[in-house]
Amino acid sequence: MPEALIVDDSKVMREMEIACLRGIEGVSFTQAASGLEALERLSLRPFDFVVLDLNMPDISGYEVIEFIRGQDKLRTLPILVVTTRGDESSRARALAAGATRFMTKPFSPDALLGEVKSLTNGRPGIQT
Amino acid sequence: MSELHVLCKIADVEYVLPAADVLQMESFTAATKVPGAAEQVAGLVQIRGRVVPVLDMRVVFGLERIAATIDSRVIVMKRGERTVGLLVDSAREVLKIPAADFQPPPPVVVQQTDGLVKAVAQAGNRLLMLIDFTKVIGEEREHAE
Amino acid sequence: MSDGFEASDFIAGFTAEAEEHLASANTNLLSVEEAVAKGQATPRQVRELFRSFHTIKGLAAMVGVEPIVDIAHAMESVLREADRAAGRLPAGAVSLLLAGVKAVENRVQALAKRKTVAAAPAKLVDALNALRQTGDERAAASVETTMPAELWGKMNAAERGQLTQGLVDGRRALIVHFVPTPVRASEGITITSVRERIATLAEIVKVVPVSTATTDASPGGLAFALVLLTEGADAELATAAATTPEALTAVSLLAPSSDSSGSSGSSNLEALDEETSDDDLHHRGVVRVEVARLDEALERLSALVVTQFRLRRTMAEMRAAGADVRALAQVISENGRQLRDLRASIMRARMVSVTELLERIPLIVRGLSRTTGKDARLSMTTGNAELDKAVAERIFPAIVHLVRNAVDHALETPAERRAAGKPETGLVTVACHELSDSQLELTVTDDGRGVDAVAVARRAGAPVPTTDDGLLALLTRPGLSTKTEVTTTSGRGVGMDVVKRIAVDELRGELSMTTTKGRGTMFSLRIPLSITIVDAFSFLCGGETFVVPVAMVEEIQEIDLAKTVRGPDRRKAPRGEPDRRRAARATDMIHRRGETVPVLRLEEILGLGVGDDLHRKAIIVRRNGEPFAFTVDRMLGQQEVVVRPLEDQLVRVHGVSGTTDLGDGRPTLVLDLAALGGRLVADGTGEPS
Repeated sequence: MPEALIVDDSKVMREMEIACLRGIEGVSFTQAASGLEALERLSLRPFDFVVLDLNMPDISGYEVIEFIRGQDKLRTLPILVVTTRGDESSRARALAAGATRFMTKPFSPDALLGEVKSLTNGRPGIQT
Repeated sequence: MSELHVLCKIADVEYVLPAADVLQMESFTAATKVPGAAEQVAGLVQIRGRVVPVLDMRVVFGLERIAATIDSRVIVMKRGERTVGLLVDSAREVLKIPAADFQPPPPVVVQQTDGLVKAVAQAGNRLLMLIDFTKVIGEEREHAE
Repeated sequence: MSDGFEASDFIAGFTAEAEEHLASANTNLLSVEEAVAKGQATPRQVRELFRSFHTIKGLAAMVGVEPIVDIAHAMESVLREADRAAGRLPAGAVSLLLAGVKAVENRVQALAKRKTVAAAPAKLVDALNALRQTGDERAAASVETTMPAELWGKMNAAERGQLTQGLVDGRRALIVHFVPTPVRASEGITITSVRERIATLAEIVKVVPVSTATTDASPGGLAFALVLLTEGADAELATAAATTPEALTAVSLLAPSSDSSGSSGSSNLEALDEETSDDDLHHRGVVRVEVARLDEALERLSALVVTQFRLRRTMAEMRAAGADVRALAQVISENGRQLRDLRASIMRARMVSVTELLERIPLIVRGLSRTTGKDARLSMTTGNAELDKAVAERIFPAIVHLVRNAVDHALETPAERRAAGKPETGLVTVACHELSDSQLELTVTDDGRGVDAVAVARRAGAPVPTTDDGLLALLTRPGLSTKTEVTTTSGRGVGMDVVKRIAVDELRGELSMTTTKGRGTMFSLRIPLSITIVDAFSFLCGGETFVVPVAMVEEIQEIDLAKTVRGPDRRKAPRGEPDRRRAARATDMIHRRGETVPVLRLEEILGLGVGDDLHRKAIIVRRNGEPFAFTVDRMLGQQEVVVRPLEDQLVRVHGVSGTTDLGDGRPTLVLDLAALGGRLVADGTGEPS
């Protein structure tokens, strides 16, 4: 049962991402509206992958990634970063911070699903 | 703008509604009956904090009511000021139907459906009927906005 | 294949989120405008504005609305620069940004109405792109504090500026740590809830996640350091963060404050102080809640109510089996009361204060003043009244239309006013007060030219009215539009006919007008407060639950149907058209205090089948002096309910004044028994016509 953490401060955006990813067999979703909430959830329960917006209030996606990578048990957690167009310069920064994959909005639903699948390939328990 | 249509079934016949007018789709268990309302008004339901009147599309098309099933759906549609739910037997697909594919309905369809079908489209070997929402809710003329 | 996603499904959600962001953007821009006039920076508002447009841009890109993406992108760039300059906007930015907000609003509305969305206005976008920071940016005063390096390193210029400014102004700065644990999470204590609680006690500068060792106390290896500026008590803050006062760390300055920018610097510091403490007062005690969360709370409550029913049933079974359940009954009864109180609290949380309802009006008047070239001043008296959100949403467009009319049509140009001996600045007054404990009055008054009865009569093709009421009747005729109404500002949105429909038909209120040629006009909207919250009895009839307003009920009585007096047999054959309601088989009557009261079986009138129990409760109401007794299955209780009128014509039926939610998530009908009784009598047949 893959556990997905969807992080974006826009509720509509989260709902869109969830709609795109429902095709993953047995997936269940947890939502977080801020980087802080995301870190809190990650500290309390294991997840199989994270979809993360870069620009959120209080704490940026980069800080979230850096923090995650700083935790032993989260070092290999797949992180898919999603951000708006025009921010391609952030790509290097995000990957340097430790993101696994990087996508820009607008994305097509199939593209998101494809990225998540490639993120989670070979991981036990995830049927896609 | 959008060519997407929600496909629904009423008594084994397939109909479509423009997705752009659809607010949400919910499963249906029961509605609060409104005494004195027209026969086709199944009643009121509360969806996301909003109280919505629901029309039983079977009754609208002159058929017998049936008990709600797990597939029954209320398609909540909004057009202008009015928000009304349509109760159908099932609604599972969303199809892309370009405007050009819609033809005026043949006279026999117009007659059988009391003018409630405003167009038909061929999709593969299926014949899909486009429901005239404004007529169904009893608004013959659309008010200027 | 991803078949779960269709962009059009999300348009409504996009519209809703965008509108929220746009509303807050307007509020922020207005306060930025005031601050700019005083030479102050506004880091918090600029940050929020930036975030709003960044979000709108992203969402617009996903639903494929390029024009909105373009405008939002231009605005976001300006705001990003300002954010990096610690909240300072370049000259002329505010007007352009306000125009940008308007441009996005128009397009969002067009999208919602499925109309074509106009391309982004090129001149506006160019003007936004041309805005650049001019020389006057000041770095935050470089003071040293005792902030731990690892936290200070994570704060950006604006946040550091905010903290040091606060310290320089003599405020207290603290670091509070919150450690999330599974136990706390299960109790609903999360970083989000802690932030909300702390936000009512302090100004949060930043929240920093901190790695900790994994211990029993901190199983997640994570703690949050909240950096605060506050005047609050340590004990309260500690409790809000689920910690102890000893765990709070104070932060102080290391060196005396210095500002490198000269004499005007100190007045800026004081001004910033005013700004931050105003915000503080504004935020204290207020939490923004999504209506959806309240609905969610109501759903949870309904689950509790169901459990209550089951408890009562079980208790009844126990009683039937001979157990002594008196003590238990008391507890369950108390519990029921608590649930009702809880429901009332949640319902009250849906209430919108009139102040909040009208908060956009100043912005609207400001915009109108500019576009119409009229000099308009707004005076608002909002009072303390509150409305249910659903009512507020309906009445708002009506008020906006009246205000627009006032500025656009009623007020004369400054030249005309001067010639007429009036002050050049026209005055529009919006006021709200409670007329009685059952009525709210909203008025929109102007000191303009008054309504021209002759011109209106000519447009309507009717004789010139002699009274204000007659003139109003003409004005509110559907489709009537004087030439002046279709101007760009008033637009074609809401017309006077719709104002009347909202006030009178939908909200069961009144609309009236007084006007004096050359002096001014006043429109008055009266909304019965009883529409918003009423005290009501709930009861079972024909197996279904209904409510009736307490104010309508004269008495609730036990009736023995075996002992009623038979009246004439009023049974009639049903008419041609099928009708749910059937005539009572015969009119039973009872004697009550010297009066003869017809007994009507409510379940039959409502088409819910025939009750057979001879001992029934009856609700006695009076209509035009005539009493009626309606039999019901069982009284359930009494509570305050929010009544929502039934708007759609499909369900506007006689005898039903609206719906409410008793906490089970299903609409419960609110019956107007007096009207039902009156209609049955007038008809003379027992059958409704």
